[in-house]
Amino acid sequence: MMELVPLAGVGSALGDFLRPSTLASVFIQGLAKAALYVMIASGLTLIFGLMGVLNFAHGSLTMLGAYLGGLVMVAFVAAGGSSITRLALFFVAVVVVFALLAGLGTAVEVGLIRKLYDRPPVYQILLTFGLTLVLNELVRIAVLFYGMQPQTDWQDAFGTKPGFLTNQIGLGSVSVNGLALFEIAFGVLTVAGIWAFLTRTRYGLVIRAGSEDAEMTEALGIDVRRVFTVVFALGTGLAGIAGVLLMWDPKWGASVPVASEALLPAFVVVIVGGLGTFRGTVVAALLVGMVDAAMSWWFVNAIDFAGLPEMTIFLILVVVLILRPQGLFGVEEVGGH
Amino acid sequence: MYHLLVNSPFGTEAATLLPRVETMIPVLYFGLFAMSFDFISGYTGYLSFGHAAFYGTGAYFVILTANDKIPLLPPGTPFMVSLVVAGLVAVALALAIGAVSFRLTGVYFAMITLGFAQVLYVFVRGWDYVGSNPRDGIFLNGANGLNIGVPGVDALNLSIGALTGDEVSLGFVHLGQTEVSYYMIGLVVLVCYFAMQRIIHSPFGKVMVAIRENEERAIAVGYDTFRYKLGAFAISAFFAAVAGGLLAGYERTVSPDESFNFLVAGDALLASIIGGFGTLAGPLYGQLFNETFREFLSKAGEGGGLLPYLRTHLGSGVMGTTIYNGLTVQGAIETFLNGHASLYVGTLFVLFVLFVPNGLLGTLRDRLGGPVSKEIPARLRRFR
Repeated sequence: MMELVPLAGVGSALGDFLRPSTLASVFIQGLAKAALYVMIASGLTLIFGLMGVLNFAHGSLTMLGAYLGGLVMVAFVAAGGSSITRLALFFVAVVVVFALLAGLGTAVEVGLIRKLYDRPPVYQILLTFGLTLVLNELVRIAVLFYGMQPQTDWQDAFGTKPGFLTNQIGLGSVSVNGLALFEIAFGVLTVAGIWAFLTRTRYGLVIRAGSEDAEMTEALGIDVRRVFTVVFALGTGLAGIAGVLLMWDPKWGASVPVASEALLPAFVVVIVGGLGTFRGTVVAALLVGMVDAAMSWWFVNAIDFAGLPEMTIFLILVVVLILRPQGLFGVEEVGGH
Repeated sequence: MYHLLVNSPFGTEAATLLPRVETMIPVLYFGLFAMSFDFISGYTGYLSFGHAAFYGTGAYFVILTANDKIPLLPPGTPFMVSLVVAGLVAVALALAIGAVSFRLTGVYFAMITLGFAQVLYVFVRGWDYVGSNPRDGIFLNGANGLNIGVPGVDALNLSIGALTGDEVSLGFVHLGQTEVSYYMIGLVVLVCYFAMQRIIHSPFGKVMVAIRENEERAIAVGYDTFRYKLGAFAISAFFAAVAGGLLAGYERTVSPDESFNFLVAGDALLASIIGGFGTLAGPLYGQLFNETFREFLSKAGEGGGLLPYLRTHLGSGVMGTTIYNGLTVQGAIETFLNGHASLYVGTLFVLFVLFVPNGLLGTLRDRLGGPVSKEIPARLRRFR
C-alpha cells in the first residue's frame, strides 16, 4: 500500500501545520497560486459565459503566451538592463502578447467558431480540441527549429527575471518568495480590471446583457455576433497574459506540456465556480489555490505521495459537481445555446 | 496482401503508403477503445471525456494480475480470464462513476468524467504499489507471452507480443510472431465488435439512440433513462477495459501517460470524428486512417513513409536548393514532415468538424442511404 506515515506523525505534523507562522506562509502561497489560477481561468470563463463555448484550446493559448512573452523578454534583456527596466519590459511583453493573441482570437472566432453556432455545443469542444493539436505542434516545430529548448523549461526566459523576484522577503515572522508577492499583485490587478470592465463600462454592460439573454440583446439593436468576437479576442488575450506570468514561475515555465498542465486546473476552477460566472471563478481560484498550497505543505512535511496536491484539486471538482452540479455560483442552464 | 503489394511493380509506392502489420496491431486495440468510446458518446450523446480511466484500468489490471499484485488472482491466471475480470472491474468502476455523473448533462458530464479520470491518473502515477517507478509505468515480469484463446484448452491458445509471441506454420503459410499477434488480437476485437453491434441493434440500443435524439421524450414514453445510460456506460467500460488489456498483453508494458491520461480519450475522440461519430465501425476506420497517416509522416520512416521516399527520389540537387533564408528543401522536409503528423491530423480534424461532421463512414452511409453492408450488395445486384 501507499506509504503513509503513522498516525502519530500526522498528529505532530498537524501541530506544526496549525502554528500561526506556517498558516500564514501557506496562506500567502495559496494566494499566489490562486492568482495564477484566476489568471488562467478568467479568459475561459468570459468566453463560456457569453458564448457557451468551452474553449479546449485555452491551455495552448496560455502556452503560446508564455513563449511569446519569453521571446520579447529574451530579445530585449540580452542588451542588459537593471531590475526596473526588466520589470517594465515585462509589462511591455504583457501588452504585446495581449495584442497578438487577441488578434489570433479574432481570426479564430471569425474564421472557425462562427460557423458552428447553430450546431450542438459538442462541436465547439471538438473544434477547439483540434485547434489545440495544431497549435501545440506548430509551437513544437518552431521550438525545435530554433533550438530553444534542450530541456523542458526554457532557461533563457527564466534568466530574464529581475533579482528581487527570486529573493525571499521577510514579512514579520514569515519569509515569502518575491515572485509570490508579484503574482498576487498582478492577479489582484487583473481581477480588478476585468471586474471594472464588466460592471463599470458600457461594453461590459452589453456583454453581461448578452450572456443573460442573447436574443433580447439583439432585439435592442446590438450586434451580438460582434460582441462574441470581441469577447473571444479578450478571452484569448487574457490566456496569453496568464502565459506571460507563468513564464517566470519555476513551477511552470515556457514549455509545450504547459498547454495541458494549465488547461486542466483552469477547467476545474471554472467548473467549480460555476461556468460563466466571473465571481465564481475568483472564489473557486481562491479555494483551489488554498487547498493546493495546504496539500503541497502536507506532501513536503507529512504525507509521502507526490500526486497529493494535484489529486485533491480534481477531487474538489468531483465533490463540487456531486453536491452542487451547477458549481458554487452557477445558475442552471448557463449559456444554453 | 501487404507482401503482395510491396513486392509488386509499385512496391516502393505501396510501402510508402500502406501501414505495416506493426502499425495495424495498435490500430486494432485502440480502434476497439475508440469504438467503446463511440458506443457511449456517439449513441447516447453523453461525451465521456474520462473514458481513458477504463482503458487504463484494463491495462493495469492485466499486468498486475500477471505480476501477482492482485489478491485472489494467482499470477498463472489465463490471459483471457484476467481480460474478462478486468472488464468486470471496469464495469464496477463505471457504475460507481456513472451513478453520480449521469445526474449531469452536456459539458458538466464531460467535465465530471474527466475529473474522475484525472484523479485516477494522478493516483496511479504516484502509487508505488504498482511498480518501483510508477510515473514511468509498469512492466510485465517473466519472459512468457500472454495467451489468447480458450482457457484450459492448450491447443487453442496462442501467445501474443512483439518478441514473445508464437509462430505458426500451416502448410505453406508461415506466420511470424507479429502476424500471429495481429490475427489473435483481431479475433478478440472482432468478437467485441459483434457483441457491441448486437447490443446497438437490440431494443436496448434503440433506447440509447432515443436518449441521444431527445431524452425528454424518451422519459415521457416511459423509459427510465438513467438506468439505460448507466447500463450503456458500464457496457462501454467493459470493452474499453478489454482494449486496454490487449494493449498491455501485446506491449507487455503500460504507462499512465498512454493509458489513464485524458489525451488518450482525446485520441479516441479524434478517431471517432474522422471515422464517423455514431457509427460503430467508424472509429476503427478513423484510427486506421489516423495511424496510417502518422506512419506516413513518421520520424524514423520504418517500413516506408514519406520521408525515405522523398530522400531516395529527390536528387541531392533538389535537396540542397535553398528556399528561403538558408532553409534548404531538405531542411524544410526535416522541419515540417519529420514526425509532426499531429499538425496535419489536427488540421484535418478541424476540417472534418467543419465540413464532414458525419465522418468517413457516416458520410458514406448518407450517400448510399443506409449501412454500407446493406447498400453495396443491393447496388451490385442492379447490374446483374
